[in-house]
Amino acid sequence: MIQTQQGEFHIGSESDIVLARKLVRDFATELGFSLTDVTRIVTAASELTRNIYHYAGSGLMRWRPLSEGGHAGLELIFEDQGPGIPDVDKALEAGFSTGKGLGLGLPGSKRLMDEMTIESHLGQGTVVGVRKWLK
Amino acid sequence: MSAESISVIKVGDLLLVTVPSDPDDETVSALQEQVLQAMARHQVKGLVLDISTVQTLDSFFARTIAESVQMVALMGGRTVLSGMRASVAITATQLGLTLGRAETALDVDRAIERLGAAPAQGQSR
Repeated sequence: MIQTQQGEFHIGSESDIVLARKLVRDFATELGFSLTDVTRIVTAASELTRNIYHYAGSGLMRWRPLSEGGHAGLELIFEDQGPGIPDVDKALEAGFSTGKGLGLGLPGSKRLMDEMTIESHLGQGTVVGVRKWLK
Repeated sequence: MSAESISVIKVGDLLLVTVPSDPDDETVSALQEQVLQAMARHQVKGLVLDISTVQTLDSFFARTIAESVQMVALMGGRTVLSGMRASVAITATQLGLTLGRAETALDVDRAIERLGAAPAQGQSR
């Protein structure tokens, strides 16, 4: 059961977005998520990995299984030492983007997952954590 | 990386484009270019973009598709997206994706039917 262990993956190139999707797909499938939930989780991971690649250049994705009060789930953490997000509330508004994206990455990922936390410091980096619980 | 796995086939006066299941951004961009080149090369009235194998439609992929639809429209053609999986449709809607003016069909057969049955665009031949 290697897949259900925690792990981490370094994001440093565009093709790493595809690899990150594959890792998350395998992990979420192994944990028993439905196809629709797997698709939601993988899509959120794709958005958040691309954010790292586009805004910070490189970073780290970490994954781990969750177990709290009889509930199982997964957590993905996306960490970079990039420029940071100047206004997190603004970044969570759909359609707001400082880059060339659609501005759906953060707000869209938040809708696809059950929980999201964002910690960002200008000039230091950003940590985005997302969680999804098994139904 | 996997630009070869995009297939663009001319069927009658249509193009049938098959999108790989998990393309990287480079492949998605290459897809757009290949479609537009094929539109220019062949005299077709429209294209079917089959996404039935696509497992993940994120905002970059969706934006590129929406852009392609618009570019094809500027060249006088119509695009019908076919075969979107239920899980992808649910996720895309929650993510907040819109595919611009793209028409959709359940499968390739229905997409072709749709392009064939619709009134001709522009002058008749």
